[in-house]
Amino acid sequence: MSVIRSEGLAKSFHGKRAVAGVDLHVERGVVCALLGPSGCGKTTTLRLIAGFERPDAGRVLVGEKLVAGEGTFVPPERRRIGMVFQDYALFPHLTVESNVGYALGRSPDRTRVSEVLSLVGLERLAGRHPHELSGGEQQRVALARALAPTPEVILLDEPFSNLDAALRMRVRREMREILVEAGVTALFVTHDQEEALSLADRVAVMRDGRVEQEGTPEEVYGRPRTRWVADFLGDAEIVPGTAADGAVECELGRFPIPKELEGTVDVLVRPESVALGAGPAPGRDRSHEGVVVAREYYGHDQLVVVKLASGRRLRSRSMGFPIWHPGDRVRVWIEGPVNALAAEPAAAQATAISAADPGQ
Amino acid sequence: MGLAIGAATALPVAYLAITVGGSLDQALDTLWRERTLRLVLRSVGLAGAVTALAVALALPLAWLTARTDLPGRRAWTVLTLLPLVIPSYIGAYLIVSALGPRGLLQDLLAGPFGVERLPSIYGFPGALLTLVLFTYPLALLTIRAAMSRLDPQLEEAARGMGRSAWRTYRSVVLPQLVPAIGASGLLVALYVLHDFGAVSILRFDSFTRVIYTAYGTGSRTSAAALASLLVLVMLAVLWLEGRARGRLAYHRSAPGTARPPATVPLGRWRWPALAFCSAVVLLALVLPVGVLVYWSLQSVAGSPDWAGIGAGTGNSLIAAGMAAAVAALCALPVALLSVRFPGVASGLAERASYAGYALPGVVVALALVFFGTRAVPVLYQSLAMLVFAWVVLFLPQAIGSTRASLLQVSPRVEEAARAMGRSPLDVLRTVTTPLAASGVMAGAALVFLTAVKELPAALILAPIGFETLSTEIWGATSVGFFERGAVPSLVLLLVSAPPLYLLTARGR
Amino acid sequence: MRKLLPILGMVVAAALPGCGFGADGGSGELTIYSGREQDLVGPLLDRYAKEEGVDIKVRYGTTPEIAATLNEEGDRSPADVFFSQDAGALGSLQAKGRLELLPTAILDRVDSRFRSPQGDWVGVSGRARVVAYNRERVREPDLPRSVLGLTAPRWKSKVGWAPTNASFESFVTALRKTEGESGAERWLRAMKANDTQVYENNVAIRDAVAKGEIEVGLINHYYVAEARAQEGPDYPVGIYEPPGGDPGALVNVAGAAVIAGAEHEDAARDFISFLLSREAQRYFAERTKEYPLAAGVKPAPGLVPLSSIRQPDVDLADLADLQGTVDLLERTGVL
Repeated sequence: MSVIRSEGLAKSFHGKRAVAGVDLHVERGVVCALLGPSGCGKTTTLRLIAGFERPDAGRVLVGEKLVAGEGTFVPPERRRIGMVFQDYALFPHLTVESNVGYALGRSPDRTRVSEVLSLVGLERLAGRHPHELSGGEQQRVALARALAPTPEVILLDEPFSNLDAALRMRVRREMREILVEAGVTALFVTHDQEEALSLADRVAVMRDGRVEQEGTPEEVYGRPRTRWVADFLGDAEIVPGTAADGAVECELGRFPIPKELEGTVDVLVRPESVALGAGPAPGRDRSHEGVVVAREYYGHDQLVVVKLASGRRLRSRSMGFPIWHPGDRVRVWIEGPVNALAAEPAAAQATAISAADPGQ
Repeated sequence: MGLAIGAATALPVAYLAITVGGSLDQALDTLWRERTLRLVLRSVGLAGAVTALAVALALPLAWLTARTDLPGRRAWTVLTLLPLVIPSYIGAYLIVSALGPRGLLQDLLAGPFGVERLPSIYGFPGALLTLVLFTYPLALLTIRAAMSRLDPQLEEAARGMGRSAWRTYRSVVLPQLVPAIGASGLLVALYVLHDFGAVSILRFDSFTRVIYTAYGTGSRTSAAALASLLVLVMLAVLWLEGRARGRLAYHRSAPGTARPPATVPLGRWRWPALAFCSAVVLLALVLPVGVLVYWSLQSVAGSPDWAGIGAGTGNSLIAAGMAAAVAALCALPVALLSVRFPGVASGLAERASYAGYALPGVVVALALVFFGTRAVPVLYQSLAMLVFAWVVLFLPQAIGSTRASLLQVSPRVEEAARAMGRSPLDVLRTVTTPLAASGVMAGAALVFLTAVKELPAALILAPIGFETLSTEIWGATSVGFFERGAVPSLVLLLVSAPPLYLLTARGR
Repeated sequence: MRKLLPILGMVVAAALPGCGFGADGGSGELTIYSGREQDLVGPLLDRYAKEEGVDIKVRYGTTPEIAATLNEEGDRSPADVFFSQDAGALGSLQAKGRLELLPTAILDRVDSRFRSPQGDWVGVSGRARVVAYNRERVREPDLPRSVLGLTAPRWKSKVGWAPTNASFESFVTALRKTEGESGAERWLRAMKANDTQVYENNVAIRDAVAKGEIEVGLINHYYVAEARAQEGPDYPVGIYEPPGGDPGALVNVAGAAVIAGAEHEDAARDFISFLLSREAQRYFAERTKEYPLAAGVKPAPGLVPLSSIRQPDVDLADLADLQGTVDLLERTGVL
């Protein structure tokens, strides 16, 4: 059963289309990420579901109940949703306790307030005001406040973007635990693919106002349906190839593919599938000569760029050891899943790359 | 609702249109005179000069009392704001008595220095001095409130980027204060345009004075034509302020919740700062109140009419209190409309409410006489009518400060409350209003302070026999018994002190 | 905000009942709009209310404001009587047909100089412009025949005036009527060139004359009369009324009229009649030291009898033309 469902959802601002027909289904108890670059319409989608915007077309159902579309518009306060804002939107004039209590109506049930506060581990800060809390604490208050009335669904708008990197990891994990413990259905918006993949049960990748692909994190990462999704979710090497009989043939070798594809295809290789070695790989029938041209060291891993004899450059992600230096001669082979996509025309590739511009 | 309120406050403009339309030729005749242009220039010049000086005075005072470790900061806050409660007609009278060619100062100097007379302060210099001294608190109030609400992170961020303190102030703090400076400048400018007390006592031939004499000589059309011109000047001022205000968002976009601003240590600068505050307070407060107390003592010796003063105090409190409450309630929807739904209609509603404020009290009062006798004779010369007149006159003060505080409430916070199952009205009551409370209360207090000293509407529209402090003061001073007006004037200052205290306490 | 709501309720509750004006038309009622201050006329009105058993409601204000209010109210005015500080405001209302004709029985009690030529308002008390002089420094025969003569070198720095005073402005208005605009302008400039001393008000001028700071001051008669009543007949300030219809001896009046369509017309006429009664006229002579205009009541001691002051040739109702005067005063730098 879909707790959140949107069909053909569309919304324009000042003649500019922000959301152009979004179909989305989130099952009960599932944590779903709405992932996309800045300006792709993901926050607008969230606000349409929450009821802060009215859709131009399409409909929204929350808990199988029509809340928007077909002439119906249920205001946000009657949708039984919990919302966590990017800037938390805590009430500065209320204490932590009252912030949470506010969500429970005019005479809040105090035991429920302490229950949610203990769920997020903030009982001892109940009497503080928001400005006396750290960013992570404010975030948890916002979450507790959203969870307090046991909403049908909880919507989170870039919930971690205002936390520093170290804190973000921890809060993400805590949040995941809290959501699972509360057994609540959650939809959160993020532009950070790592966050989406690590936190969500399902990921919906959005681009230009549409959902480009939806699936488990493994599906969208491992088997992207388009080159754009492949690029957006992580580094990807694209090599031309030919598919036939459940396998693909390209200059890197022949690999089984899970799809029924025939003819010219793009073969997608993630850098972590590109293995390097000083000599030929054990048990591999096919490896290639290559020269290291660049290396980026990250501590826990490293990204090495190698140039094959054919002139093709490949990126390889491996453990931080052994240490490679530019100029080193290496053997290169593929280890792990390989995916193939129907080849896209060049123009589409260009837009895919610009839409996936980093730093947004 | 906001639109309805805006329309109601535009009644005086409708009255002007009807009056001018009634005999257009005569009206145009008045307007085409060369003298009229001179009048516009004089009035606009005075309003501009007073506004510039008042804001220039208010900015450092606001900063010193809101953000520094100035010794006795709380006391200075109240003291620098107190001149607000001195009506301009009393202020002007006191300034003349103290600094006039043969005033108290000349008296003091006559003995040791043989100064026979001081240069005349009538006309522009006197009007400028008086109006700056008694309107700068209007600007101070708004700017100070905005300054104490400023997000310190922004300043820290700028300082962190290697900006000097002064450049930080200019590039980060000042732009943040633009809405407050604009709103307060607007209040001051419009106050000057509509003021009658100071310009009539100081004999500065401004718009209001000419409108007043035109009414007195029965040339109602000329008066209305000139008042309409004043409305046009007001529109120009509003347009300027609107441009300054721009389309910026001033609520926090940063995460989390703002910390209260930090205090800046003054160090050695403490002494010049103290001297500055003292000079302002001396001129705008100690001097006039000193004269008042001196006269009061003389008057008490002659056993003043305590019963009358008591009744006047009660009436003033009731009527001004009602006006403050109604204005605060009316200001909220208008301000909300303009902040949350900026558009042509909401802009018009907000702007229309300024019409009453720019017009001299006598024009607004007469407009309500016109409509009151024709549309609602039952209410004519009732307390409700007086309260309504004050709301029309002073609503923008409430809107301005409500608006400024609403601007700093993030719409996300309201949405959060909606998401928690609260209806928009409930959100308004439990979230928006408390967050904007300081602004709403400041607005109510301001309206109270201005209404309690208002004169023309009180004289024309109050129920017969309904004496207020201001009409009592007027009654005494107009026959030249200023000593008799001194006690009610002091009472007026006293009843104004609590709302003023509230203003400063809430502003923190 | 929650606290404000009950207050609002109280506002409505308190503001609505008891509002409006007496519309029940009882004959014992009278609504007066008074441009004269409560301090001056209040006791007299109270006395009338008590003696005649009339329920008097008085709205006090400045005369121009009240005239404007009456204009706006039109025929819906709740007022029965307008008691004006000066003739000009009455004249402007008369011109708009806002006043009721008075019976000749009332009009005839006042000299025709001090009432409406059309018969719809009547002067109640008069105030004369005078040349106040220090009796120790100046002998009356040495004073010029007209205020126009005060520009002579003999009076350099010896004369005081109060250009911001409304009565002074009325005097200049009269001057403009008698001498013409250019004549008035010449005189003002000459006076200024003669170092005429500027004072805040009439009282300051009178006291300066008494102290001998200056020898002559242009003020209203009752300031001297009041001081003399307090200080006794040895008070050093004398009063001189320039003869021959000089504007320096202008007599302006406070007057009263019945508002057209007044609900209590008879009571209004009775009241005006009372203002001209011996009792009321004596009140003005004694309390405000103004010239009584009727009932043969004598002015305060030391004043020139009204019959020997020759009024300049101006219509009192014209003295409302203040704006031209303010312009002139400004142009000549007197203000």
